[in-house]
Amino acid sequence: MTRACGIVSGTGRASIGEVMDELRELFAGDFVDNGGASIIDAAAFDRLALRVHGAQRASNPVLRRYWDACARTEPSAWHEITPVPVQAFRDLPIIAGSAETVFRTSGTTGGDSRRGEHHVASVEFYRAAARANYRHHLLADAQALRIISLIPGPALIRDSSLSTMAGFIAREPEVVHSTWAFGPAHGVDVDAIREAVADSVAPHPVLLLTTALALVQLLDALGGAPLPLPPGSRIMETGGFKGRVAEVDRSMLYGRVAHTLDVPETHIVNEYGMTEMLSQAYDCVAGKGPPANERVHRFPPWVRTRALDPADLSPLPEGRPGLLAHFDLANAASVCHLLTEDFGWTTADGGVHLLGRAPGAGLRGCSLTAESFLRATRRGHGSP
Amino acid sequence: MRRHPDRRETDAWLWPPGLPAPPATERRSAGDLPIRHPAPDAIRPGTLSGVLRDGQRELAAIGVDELVRILGGVGEALVAELDPGTARSQTGVEAPNARRERDHGSPGIREIAANGRLSPEMARAVVDGMAPSWRVRALDRLVATEFPVRGVLDGFTAERGSAGKAGAPEAGRLVRAAAPPLTLHFGAGSVPGVTVTSMIRALLVKSAVLVKPGAGDIALTVRFARLLHRADPRLARAVAVQYWPGGAPKWDGFERGLLRGADQVVVYGSDTTIKGIRARAPASTRLIEHPHRIGVSIIDPAAAPPGSAVDAARAAALFEQRGCVSTHLILLLGTPEAAATWCAELAGALAATENEIPAGPSTPGELSARHQLLGRLRLRAAASGDIRIWTAETGSWSTILAPPDAFEAARGRTVWVAPIASRAEALPVLSSLSAVLQTVGLAGIGAGFAQALHDLGATRIVPLGQVPFPGPDWFHDGSRPLRELVRWGELR
Repeated sequence: MTRACGIVSGTGRASIGEVMDELRELFAGDFVDNGGASIIDAAAFDRLALRVHGAQRASNPVLRRYWDACARTEPSAWHEITPVPVQAFRDLPIIAGSAETVFRTSGTTGGDSRRGEHHVASVEFYRAAARANYRHHLLADAQALRIISLIPGPALIRDSSLSTMAGFIAREPEVVHSTWAFGPAHGVDVDAIREAVADSVAPHPVLLLTTALALVQLLDALGGAPLPLPPGSRIMETGGFKGRVAEVDRSMLYGRVAHTLDVPETHIVNEYGMTEMLSQAYDCVAGKGPPANERVHRFPPWVRTRALDPADLSPLPEGRPGLLAHFDLANAASVCHLLTEDFGWTTADGGVHLLGRAPGAGLRGCSLTAESFLRATRRGHGSP
Repeated sequence: MRRHPDRRETDAWLWPPGLPAPPATERRSAGDLPIRHPAPDAIRPGTLSGVLRDGQRELAAIGVDELVRILGGVGEALVAELDPGTARSQTGVEAPNARRERDHGSPGIREIAANGRLSPEMARAVVDGMAPSWRVRALDRLVATEFPVRGVLDGFTAERGSAGKAGAPEAGRLVRAAAPPLTLHFGAGSVPGVTVTSMIRALLVKSAVLVKPGAGDIALTVRFARLLHRADPRLARAVAVQYWPGGAPKWDGFERGLLRGADQVVVYGSDTTIKGIRARAPASTRLIEHPHRIGVSIIDPAAAPPGSAVDAARAAALFEQRGCVSTHLILLLGTPEAAATWCAELAGALAATENEIPAGPSTPGELSARHQLLGRLRLRAAASGDIRIWTAETGSWSTILAPPDAFEAARGRTVWVAPIASRAEALPVLSSLSAVLQTVGLAGIGAGFAQALHDLGATRIVPLGQVPFPGPDWFHDGSRPLRELVRWGELR
């Protein structure tokens, strides 16, 4: 609390570099899994958000003109800053200064022709923002772990924010060995997984990093044959909320995992993240997870989330589902306030209940949808 | 999906008489309309197609002139059923509900509206616009245009001579045009009336029809089929409608069975839908495909008749831009400054159209897509300054002034306007759209430009005011509407 208050007490206009330095301190602070209320109270968050906003306005003339065109008055709170739609990352590089790397979306809705690009000023800053959060949720109580990753490694896919984060986790001191068991060409490498699990020389618990889709592929490939992971193993699974995978029934998936991999539901953690933001949300701490249908996702203290009325983007009260907008201070070098295409509601204690993509894709007629149009006319850009 | 337990469900099927009622049904919402339809194992696909094949023999014996009268009569009965003014016109006294129905739509119109998530006003406008092509006169014109010697539909008939003299036999050849016995139709998702037109075409050439309406076009299709059944028992035995959720795994066997039993398949839909049908239909089954398309209009405001902005607003708004004929992009001759002035006029026309024909309810997904698009464009405008946006406070329409290369198809009355300095500048823009181009509306542009447009893929080039509603004999996606359904035979 003291550290956070110190950080947000700065006055005057700061540069992006200065606010990033301040945020590094915040990222390194004590982590409390409560949506941030006890670490950064509302007023402190507003002050910090406005300080970052001021720095973004000063350093990014495109954003400044965008905000000036959208709002007539200066914001006095974080939620008064007009959000940028996540699809805007498909059109323009949004960054103050130069990028150290570019993360690209997987093209889940538009195919590879229209991938979003998040220009990231500092990979080390991304690690700082992600680290305390994944350590708290995934490495809790672990002395030594082996990683088996069904997420391609960062050496294989350099422009994936998820692969990069998997690489961060693999570098943690508790991790004694990592097996990268997924390739873009052949998918899940079941033999490599069997071999890694059978390693009796170092029978440490496993942290399985996976997308929901890859996890389904692994279970399908095993065909119900047990491949029990050592006691204490845990799973981080991500995806499946965005409509790309045949939406996975989470309870059913976790039941299959328990049966085949001998990892109980309590040890399966869902991660929610997106290329366009550097912070993530998790729905439980490994080993302490409640039943899947009782979970809510929690971001670190430097993120705030609102559910907005799809009609006019007015804020909705807790418990009412709407379009989710996140304000992620870790996006200081790009843009913090993001309007997503995801649907969900917020809880009184700062949690987020995710429902997936906003329901009801455009009604089909006989005119082209935007995505079909892009495919048919090959007018997309940014294909790798 | 929303459920409406208080509202009676619409039956999303109609089988030929004699078949037992389905032993089990499933319930779901189609748009905002609660429906029920037979369960997958309620009838064997072979049974359904077999009954229709038997019925087709009677259908084939009906002369084409009589068919025109029957089908056109049913089309007119459908319009009457949906028209609240009919009660007064028949009795001379306004029925008690007539005023309310005029204001809010008849029960039938409201059902069609709920099914397609349209406003009742839009459902009314769509039916009013399409209905003329279902009447006796229109069908008579359609047959006459497609088959100048209409006897070819009833039996082998002397072919018109090559010298152009009507009725002059050419070297003794007799010709006959006959559709195969059974045509399976996969209707467009949510454009009411498209499936009715498709059914009429097949029946005119004497093919029995088995129809899977799109989820948003169930109400009108079933209503029309019911009138066909009542009109003539010979038609009743040759017409079946059944909705099922396309692509659902548990319906795969049923769908494959129907595809095996059909002689030809007419499919309206996305590339994904069409690919799916192609993959499952037997190689010997003829496929007639109508993929998704877009419409473009080219306007020279200086030469166009007054009201081009109003016509453009209607060309975009009708069908909520879901129709393949709907205008999505307008290429406007003139400077960017002049285009901005015209866009303001178009925005006013879209606002007026919204008052007259309100948009239907939008889903969160549609609203989300709109926010994403407009937000993206506002950011791009901040970056380049070459985009301007006019939009309703409710978000129910938008006008986007942008360079041609920024265009991407969107729905929900989203009209892109791209200024061009000359007609010639339209050609490279249209060239990039040629794979998906269908209707081109013209205002202030001479017909001399038409050949270049056709070369680029446009198959329907019409005055801007005629964009929303094609005539009965239009070349749908470049094909003759009846001739594409028949096989020709010659007798020497």
